[in-house]
Amino acid sequence: MATAPYNYSYIFKYIIIGDMGVGKSCLLHQFTEKKFMADCPHTIGVEFGTRIIEVSGQKIKLQIWDTAGQERFRAVTRSYYRGAAGALMVYDITRRSTYNHLSSWLTDARNLTNPNTVIILIGNKADLDAQRDVTYEEAKQFAEENGLLFLEASAKTGENVEDAFLEAAKKIYQNIQDGSLDLNAAESGVQHKPSAPQGGRITNEPQPQREGCGC
Amino acid sequence: MDQSVAVQDSLKEDENCIVAAQCQFFVNDVIESRLVSLVECKSEYGIFLFTHRRMAITKDDISLDKVVPITKDCTIEEVLSEFPVLGADMTVRITSDSVFLELQLPFSSHSQRFLDETCKACHGVDMSEDPCPQFLWLSKYLPKSALASDSEKKGAFIPTAAFKGIETEASDNKRKTGTATVNGKSQVSEETKQNIQNISDNNAVRDGKVKPEVNNDMVRSSSYTVANKAQMLAMPQFELRDNLIKCELLKREESYTFTKNYRFFVGTYNVNGQSPKESLLPWLKGGIEPPDIYLVGFQELDLSKEAFIFSDTPKEQEWSKAVYEGLHPESKYAMIKVIRLVGIMLLFYVKKELAEYISAIEAEYVGTGIMGRMGNKGAVGIRFNFHNSSLCIVNCHLAAHTEEYERRNQDFRDICSRLTFRSFDPVLPNLPIMKHETVLWFGDLNYRISDVDVEQVKKLIDERDFKTLYKYDQLKKQMEEKAVFDGFTEGELTFQPTYKYDTGSDQWDTSEKCRTPAWCDRILWKGKSVKQLQYSSHLSLKTSDHKPVSSIFEIGIKVVNEELYKKTFEEIVRSLDKMENECIPSVSLSEREFYFKDVKYMQRQVQTFTIYNDGQVPCQFQFIQKLEEPAYCKPWLTAQPCKGFVAQGAKLEIELEVFVNKTTATKLTSQEEKLEDILILHLERGKDYFVPISGNYLPSCFGSSLQALCYMREPIQDMPPEHIQQFTLMPLHPQTEPSNTLEKQLDIPKEVWMLVEHLYRNACHQADLFQQPGLRTEFEEIRDCLDTGMPDSLPGSNHSVAEALLLFLDALPEPVICYSHYHKSLDSSGSYTQCKQAISTLPQCHKNVFNYLMAFLRELLKYFMFNNLDRSTLASIFGSLLLRPPPGIKQDATQKKKVQEFIEHFISKQEDVS
Repeated sequence: MATAPYNYSYIFKYIIIGDMGVGKSCLLHQFTEKKFMADCPHTIGVEFGTRIIEVSGQKIKLQIWDTAGQERFRAVTRSYYRGAAGALMVYDITRRSTYNHLSSWLTDARNLTNPNTVIILIGNKADLDAQRDVTYEEAKQFAEENGLLFLEASAKTGENVEDAFLEAAKKIYQNIQDGSLDLNAAESGVQHKPSAPQGGRITNEPQPQREGCGC
Repeated sequence: MDQSVAVQDSLKEDENCIVAAQCQFFVNDVIESRLVSLVECKSEYGIFLFTHRRMAITKDDISLDKVVPITKDCTIEEVLSEFPVLGADMTVRITSDSVFLELQLPFSSHSQRFLDETCKACHGVDMSEDPCPQFLWLSKYLPKSALASDSEKKGAFIPTAAFKGIETEASDNKRKTGTATVNGKSQVSEETKQNIQNISDNNAVRDGKVKPEVNNDMVRSSSYTVANKAQMLAMPQFELRDNLIKCELLKREESYTFTKNYRFFVGTYNVNGQSPKESLLPWLKGGIEPPDIYLVGFQELDLSKEAFIFSDTPKEQEWSKAVYEGLHPESKYAMIKVIRLVGIMLLFYVKKELAEYISAIEAEYVGTGIMGRMGNKGAVGIRFNFHNSSLCIVNCHLAAHTEEYERRNQDFRDICSRLTFRSFDPVLPNLPIMKHETVLWFGDLNYRISDVDVEQVKKLIDERDFKTLYKYDQLKKQMEEKAVFDGFTEGELTFQPTYKYDTGSDQWDTSEKCRTPAWCDRILWKGKSVKQLQYSSHLSLKTSDHKPVSSIFEIGIKVVNEELYKKTFEEIVRSLDKMENECIPSVSLSEREFYFKDVKYMQRQVQTFTIYNDGQVPCQFQFIQKLEEPAYCKPWLTAQPCKGFVAQGAKLEIELEVFVNKTTATKLTSQEEKLEDILILHLERGKDYFVPISGNYLPSCFGSSLQALCYMREPIQDMPPEHIQQFTLMPLHPQTEPSNTLEKQLDIPKEVWMLVEHLYRNACHQADLFQQPGLRTEFEEIRDCLDTGMPDSLPGSNHSVAEALLLFLDALPEPVICYSHYHKSLDSSGSYTQCKQAISTLPQCHKNVFNYLMAFLRELLKYFMFNNLDRSTLASIFGSLLLRPPPGIKQDATQKKKVQEFIEHFISKQEDVS
């Protein structure tokens, strides 16, 4: 059989958090279905989607939990942070209030996830530049101060959506590779397939076993 | 059952059986059941192998077979197959300098424990400071010679391996894994692993089995912790997906493969026990163009008794060398595999640059000789994948003698049914020959030319009329009758019979037997894209009484277009993802949010909604707890059913019930809590729905404190909420009223007065007062009356009013005799003076209510003739409400008695306590 490994060998759990209406579900939908959902109803609960991506030749399944953003559900959604390998913290670049609330979302994310959870800040609705209320530089600085990855994206045009999910995955994978994320630790948010056999393929040149038969 | 008891029973006092497990043990290819156990003595460990009766209970049931001391060079590994399956048997390999054991353990906790403990013991030996464990305690279990010689030599005890056949493999295996398995640590490099997996190994081939590679990742994970247990549970998910993708890839193979022709050389030569004496190049060159693959078969490699019995022959090497030297000189070839059964040998070479496209190589043999098993006749086979095509090569030597064609047919059928190859996926059954896309079958098939005399045969040969001669060929006839090689094809025979010549010449057999020449040596094929380019014999080779036969095939091989493959693969993965997403259970709820209006004390309110399964899979739902909450909902709420199952397209009604009772009323009245909750409806493996529940609670005197009610001159529901909150949250103040009170406090709550006054006016003559229950509907009217207005007279029967009074007292967050007075009061129950003393220290409003109630009870007792009441009945009813034990304290019978006595003092006397 051919070279590509059949299947993913990791599962990463992600959560998406942020104020109501910033476009969390649309980002997820754009990422999993490559479509923009125009009349997206408010999420009342926790939805989830999956997609397989590839990082450094490794197939990784992302299991993404999209949480309700309404303030009244805040206490309830806190239950879902646990065991996330990555968190997408989303605000709306056209609504300053959603940006102002970030520190409170960040507090939750820091308190309720493990120290290795990769948090990426996403300024959504980048297509509505005319109505921009939060500058790129400002958010970039906020991200840097807090050690977050940062991207502006648009769930509508799809711009940077893929990258947002990928960047976080790369960082998580890097953490696994350099050993800072212990896969065996409870709540690492990563499941690893114990071995990924490549099929019974010869990759080294066979060496005849006996003298006299040598090549 | 734990059989370690039986093992322990057989041991000496200071020896300790840590774990015992049932296993299967390979002894010379025969599988036998053993009991394997880990035994410890003075921090040294040994593995004991016992033969045993079915289920060992005492030492009489077991008998020691082998002992393996766990020395520093001892390794324990779990041997894993390519695709490990959860729940599959495990194979454990125990190796040390001179021991090689392979045990198969069933999937069980005993087995897992055996592996864990043994690994631990191995690890312990590695870590230990003690340079050489002595294993003196083991000496009594071992043959004397072994101990004497080896331990003297090496300074540490090393047991002799008592198991021939496996022993050879031990050294072989070590060579393969190189230095990797030293000291119980597994560090097989990627490279070595590949070698183990792929490169033919003559020793391994000898017994026809290539051992699966040792996968070190899994060895590590076999000592599971809680954390990686969770990972193990995730395994089936990974498994299932792999299989689905594999199936799908197979289905769509055409979309990403193209056919490319490769040149195959096939040769067969019965060498009549001779050693090579001449170059094989004329036979093996196979034309101008170098073949891509060589498949060379021999029969009668060694006719000596030794070869037959010990299956070991120098001829293997001699002929392999001769073949290697005779391969087409313009190309470099790599040997992929050799398999030999006594004199039947098959060599498999491939052009070096093509080696990487060969995979899934398996070799097997089947003996069909004497007793149907022996190896003087039979077949050897190699199966492999070349690019994306599967091929099976069989070299056989069928039964001899002209008249024995039926026997030959039988041999063929035997080989077909018994020669099967281990499947790379352990869950799949073994692969039979005919399951391969292309089968090349050759060898000394031994079919003769019959029903014609020798002279006629020789004449036809001289005339080169092979067409006529072929009519007398047994194989042709048998194939026409479909008695053998059904579905196979053979090319036209354009060469003279290959048997039997005088050795060293081109002369037909001149011996006494003067055998009729025959086409014994044949090459056949089965498969769609096989084209025979050449089929010939080679008269110039004179070593044997047979002539070698060769054929060149052009075989269409499915080659993967990597780009298309990647595309197909991704398509499959994507559709699988889509399917997976679609298979996430989904439901719709008829209502998403609920408001319970005007919830009243002790009055049920129910709302319902429907769960409709609009997903594509059945779903299991459950209301789940939120972070740091004790239950899935607040105590005043229930959901019925709170978990269940809904099939696709089915509906289920859920009932939400709000019910405020005395345990929840107080905080709702005080507005410390609200009728607010969010239920999480969780779908198994699916999303979660939040169901917000809210409502308003109408404050009630039921569940309110005496003190708060004393401040309320208006009915509670006419009070501004902030006042209710203020009064209900006010700490219970002791004796005297604080000076800054907003309003003058009532002496007793008006609600108590209304209830008692009503009973005093109407119910003194009521039979069974306080003993007959009231009506629920009347209670609700009474409650509303108390909470909303002050009509002159309460509604409902006397019994309902009486019950309302009791319910009121029961719902008081602080009983009339405060919790703080409980023990004091009980202690003073013996003396009326002390009881009075206890009462006198109650907060004023509590004291007032107590005196008021006692006066009322005394009044009631005057009418005992009518209402059937007596002191002790009243004392026990009211005692249990007025003098309640603080929460969490249980009342025993003595205490109950004291409570009753306490109250009796007061209703017997005619005075109030001031």
